[in-house]
Amino acid sequence: MGLEILVCIKQVPHPDHFSEIRLDVGSGRIIREGIPAIINPLDRNALEEGLRIKERFSGKVTVISMGPPQAQKALEEALAMGVDRGILLCDMAFAGADTLATANTLFYAIRKLGKFDIIYCGNETVDSGTAQVGPQLAELLDIPQVSSVQEVTFSDEKTLEVKRALEHGYMKVRLKLPALLCVNRDINRTRLPTVQSIMEVAQKEMIIWEARDIEAPPESIGLKGSPTCAVGVYEHKTGRRREVMQGSTEEKVQGAVARLKELGAI
Amino acid sequence: MSNSGEIWVIGEQRRGRLEEVSLELLSKGTALSQSMGVTLSAVLLGDEVEEVARELVFHGAEKIYLLEDARLRYYQSEAYARLLAGVIKEHEPQIVLIGATEIGKELAPRVAAKLRTGLTAYCIDLYVGEVGDAPHLIHVVPGWGGNLVMHIICPQRRPQVVTVKPGVLPKAVRDESRKGKIIKVRPDVRDKDFSRIETVEVVEESPKAKSVESADVVVCGGWGMNALGDFSKVQELADILGGVVAGTRPAMDKGWVDEARMIGQSGKTVSPGLFVSLGASGAMHYTTGFMGSKVVLAVDQNPQAPIFHVADVGIVGDLSEVIPCLIEELKKGA
Amino acid sequence: MDLNLSREHEMLRDMVKEFANSELAPRALELDNKGEFFWEQVKRSGQLGLIGVINSKEYGGTAMGHLARMILIEEISRVYPPLGFFHQTGNLLMYAIETFGSDEQKKKYLPALCKGEKVSAFALTEATGGSDPANMQAEATLEGDDYVVNGRKSWITAVDPADVVGFVARTGDKFSAFVVEKGTPGFEVTRREETIGLRSLPVNEFALTNCRLPKENLIGEEGRGLVYALTTIATIGRTGAAGVALGIARGCYEIALKFAKERVLYGKPIAVLQAIQFMLADMNVEIEAAKWLCYSTAWQLDQGKTSRDLAVDIARCKLYAVDVANRCAYKAVDIMGAYGLSPKYRVIGLLRDALELGVAAGSQEVMKITIGATITR
Repeated sequence: MGLEILVCIKQVPHPDHFSEIRLDVGSGRIIREGIPAIINPLDRNALEEGLRIKERFSGKVTVISMGPPQAQKALEEALAMGVDRGILLCDMAFAGADTLATANTLFYAIRKLGKFDIIYCGNETVDSGTAQVGPQLAELLDIPQVSSVQEVTFSDEKTLEVKRALEHGYMKVRLKLPALLCVNRDINRTRLPTVQSIMEVAQKEMIIWEARDIEAPPESIGLKGSPTCAVGVYEHKTGRRREVMQGSTEEKVQGAVARLKELGAI
Repeated sequence: MSNSGEIWVIGEQRRGRLEEVSLELLSKGTALSQSMGVTLSAVLLGDEVEEVARELVFHGAEKIYLLEDARLRYYQSEAYARLLAGVIKEHEPQIVLIGATEIGKELAPRVAAKLRTGLTAYCIDLYVGEVGDAPHLIHVVPGWGGNLVMHIICPQRRPQVVTVKPGVLPKAVRDESRKGKIIKVRPDVRDKDFSRIETVEVVEESPKAKSVESADVVVCGGWGMNALGDFSKVQELADILGGVVAGTRPAMDKGWVDEARMIGQSGKTVSPGLFVSLGASGAMHYTTGFMGSKVVLAVDQNPQAPIFHVADVGIVGDLSEVIPCLIEELKKGA
Repeated sequence: MDLNLSREHEMLRDMVKEFANSELAPRALELDNKGEFFWEQVKRSGQLGLIGVINSKEYGGTAMGHLARMILIEEISRVYPPLGFFHQTGNLLMYAIETFGSDEQKKKYLPALCKGEKVSAFALTEATGGSDPANMQAEATLEGDDYVVNGRKSWITAVDPADVVGFVARTGDKFSAFVVEKGTPGFEVTRREETIGLRSLPVNEFALTNCRLPKENLIGEEGRGLVYALTTIATIGRTGAAGVALGIARGCYEIALKFAKERVLYGKPIAVLQAIQFMLADMNVEIEAAKWLCYSTAWQLDQGKTSRDLAVDIARCKLYAVDVANRCAYKAVDIMGAYGLSPKYRVIGLLRDALELGVAAGSQEVMKITIGATITR
């Protein structure tokens, strides 16, 4: 069959280190230097799905990401999983993008790369978690899209039957390729790179594109291309009482129960 | 911000039942429409859902744009997005509120992209505030697993579209005496809407046990329950308090709870009267799941655990000692 | 001097770390307490390409080299030393066959061993003393086209589950190396020894009683067996043991550090107390020193230097890393107080594992003999 498969990924700070992310109150900037970065977990499921489809039907898997220079490491990790080619969209002009501007940037890059049969995304990222880029990109590409995908079956070469999660159940959707799927963690168990695939990374293509390479109109990308913008970042004041009980185990428990009664909780 | 241009709530119905988040949107919509002096309307798509439209009126919408067609009975990705974008283009509301349900999360970005307008996801609050020297609708969203809060605006493009996290805002109160206008819009449903993508089956179970979101007391166990070997004590505590059992992501991975009971950023958000956290250190992507609780009790063996920063009452100690003691103490009072 | 590990080595470390954390860590404590191994993880190691890192691609290996091997054994052992130690012993025969064996032997044995579908053991030691191999009693006599072997090897890791075992026996007044397959008549595993550390891994005694082995089972040249064995043990066994030691040392350090930051005494975490900080500082320094000693040795092997050239380097890194592992484990147990001594927590098991490394691939004293004799020549 020979499918052209694209997977969109994002490099994010490691969730275990989120509590270390600090806000610089003076500049309003989020400081995330020194925090280890990983491929967004659901994007790994997306990569895994892309690789499985390639193994079943033959074809080529390309991974693409819009990010700063260090995002190249995430793309290399994807190559180590078995992806054939990596594209990094890296340019100051892309910075400050909201989800629409991000989708636009990806759109222009994809326009340059050519036609894809299937595009996979992770349903949402662990940092911003909007789950918006996938559907918006599909709209710009004018292809059908489904979110929260748990299962994919090919009923024929061009038709997929997809099971997607609902809060208390699921929906089955039939769609025709080309299509974009945003996947959940239920869809598969992701593979680890092997020694062999790690050693093959050096032979694979890694391209870095700037705004002019993808011929993206400046008003559609980055801060300029973002209809929404952040006007403030604040530390979340929880307003909790933070009363930690003291004494022996019995004393702590008695104190806690008494306090909860006073607060009307029990 | 303008003093014309309606505020729209996109109502969500499934099988003729209105999703609770629509009521939350209506209460916020009402507050905004009153403070801005503009009309609050709602949009509803479906088949034979006029009764649902009336519910939207009873909960505060002054006008309902009702789009009914047999083919719209279930959510259909292309049809719904195209029709919704169409009716928005025609009537030009300035603000559109959508519930961040599984369907809303897919529909909203599609519609916003069609309109090339701004979309903010997962708002936990909305209010009119000053930015620079002009009033703007401020979209309040949690970031970084709940550690930080961001204020976002959509200064130029219209409508500004916002999805709201279910279970955070208060619900509108039902008042049958409310009057509203139901406008039947004949939707121009085309075959082409279904040629590329079509919903073929919807299966929803009514949850057998009480869902975590609807319980007034939630007792949530984390990785630290390893010390007791299983979740039986969590259940026991929940039973005495008249609440439900929930778990963190590690607890779910361990098989102690299923996905419907997992609390956290990528799981359920709850705001019960009492939330009890047992043996979870308090990672941000967990604590964001119960931020809205009235009272939080935390038990953990690590005095430095961040959970104690987001709790009202805290007990530091060995779980295998504290939990049985707590159960005994509560039995005495009962 | 570029001290950065290559991108591939960093990726390898990340991959093994994830493998160890997600697949080995959950069961490590339980298996150590029960004294059981889980052989599925050997197969998993094979799938990931970790077992054959020093074997050529032609025979199913991945040829990533000795530094790669050091890193992967370290990362595995940080979490579950028995599997790291299994790599140490399991790679011995694989190296011997690759370096000294015939084409037929390589084709016959290496692919399955690289995949982790079959496992091997390597036997030199006898009751006469592992430190005195020249006094071994096992004997192989040529009768027509077969060697008839008689002898008994003891304290050999993982013979019981092994599909193929390499061993050395006297042939005349010299020594030769052979391969024997499980199920061969006259080859019998006679005992499992109880060990205080690396309890998951079986340690066995086996007997060869009039065991007939065809000439094809001779590795390399007759009479060269002891040289092959000592080269193999130096290149693969000692570096492997050093890798396990690095892993154990780091594992203990990370656990102790985390504990010190959380454990409150006198109203503050004990990490603020100088006594604790001094112990952690010592661990930190020694681990870093051991790491560079081991990595530089492995790197030199990758540059093509022989174990003869590197006799002192190899002995040095095994000697030092194992001592460091023991000291770190002891300090970790100390820092953790009663928790450090409890089998419900990980550290005491790591101390026991560190003790076992003393006699692996040549005792610590033998390392000193190697170094002392070489430098005073």
